[in-house]
Amino acid sequence: MGIFKEKKNSPSLSTSPCAQLREAYHNCFNRWYSDKFLKGEWDKEECVIEWKKYRDCLSQHLDDRHLSRFLEVDGIVGGANLNDSKSSTGVPK
Amino acid sequence: MVRAYTQEHTYKHPWERVTSASWRKFADPENKRILSHILEVDTLNHNLDSSSGKLYTTRAITIHAPGPWFIRKIIRQDICHCVESTVVDAQSRSMQLSTRNISLEKYIEVEEKIRYDPHPDNPNSWTICKQETRIRIKPLSALASMAEKIEQKCADKFQANSAKGREVMERMCKYLEAESRGISA
Repeated sequence: MGIFKEKKNSPSLSTSPCAQLREAYHNCFNRWYSDKFLKGEWDKEECVIEWKKYRDCLSQHLDDRHLSRFLEVDGIVGGANLNDSKSSTGVPK
Repeated sequence: MVRAYTQEHTYKHPWERVTSASWRKFADPENKRILSHILEVDTLNHNLDSSSGKLYTTRAITIHAPGPWFIRKIIRQDICHCVESTVVDAQSRSMQLSTRNISLEKYIEVEEKIRYDPHPDNPNSWTICKQETRIRIKPLSALASMAEKIEQKCADKFQANSAKGREVMERMCKYLEAESRGISA
């Protein structure tokens, strides 16, 4: 089947320079999610420094305008039509 | 023309473990090999509602999806960006993911919704996953006669990929189970 067949050279992606910062953030997030958030400790956000570094890198390298739209607008969950997501816009701090 | 299908799967793991696995499934090296069509996953945004225990996250998922030659000729790209929005409600124990493509949307719309809830028969140990996928090929005149075939191929491909996704989720759950035993032992 010719459709969707493996391509030899995979395209290089704009966010690759952020790979290390991404991994650091995602590792931190995964630990926080399992160890704190799921256990009811959701009162404060963690991984703030990791997130900031990673996000700064993304804002420099994310050259796809469709995607940077999501990065720039804070607090909007993708505009998807999940029932609960309406309350996510402009969540009071 | 819209093609839609739903799938259900029971994980014999608690909701907490399954949702942890869901966050990690794209990062693990072994999973990356199985899910080789996933090129990059970036978190674009997150928001914690600390009063209600709800976590909102937006991620970008870059997928390698080259179509047949005549599609490539029109589209001139074989990667597709999707945006995944997730809401986790820690209080009511629910996780909802919604993924849709934001590139190639002139030609095709794909929307996938996944929900993870505690299984009603065994809410503390099992998790039910409900998945709904809708695929819609835009009626381009040049492609109208082919559109239905392409839709079917897309649907087949998505079903194959969600089978892979389940395999990866099961593996990740086992890994997390072993990890939690190791820590508590």
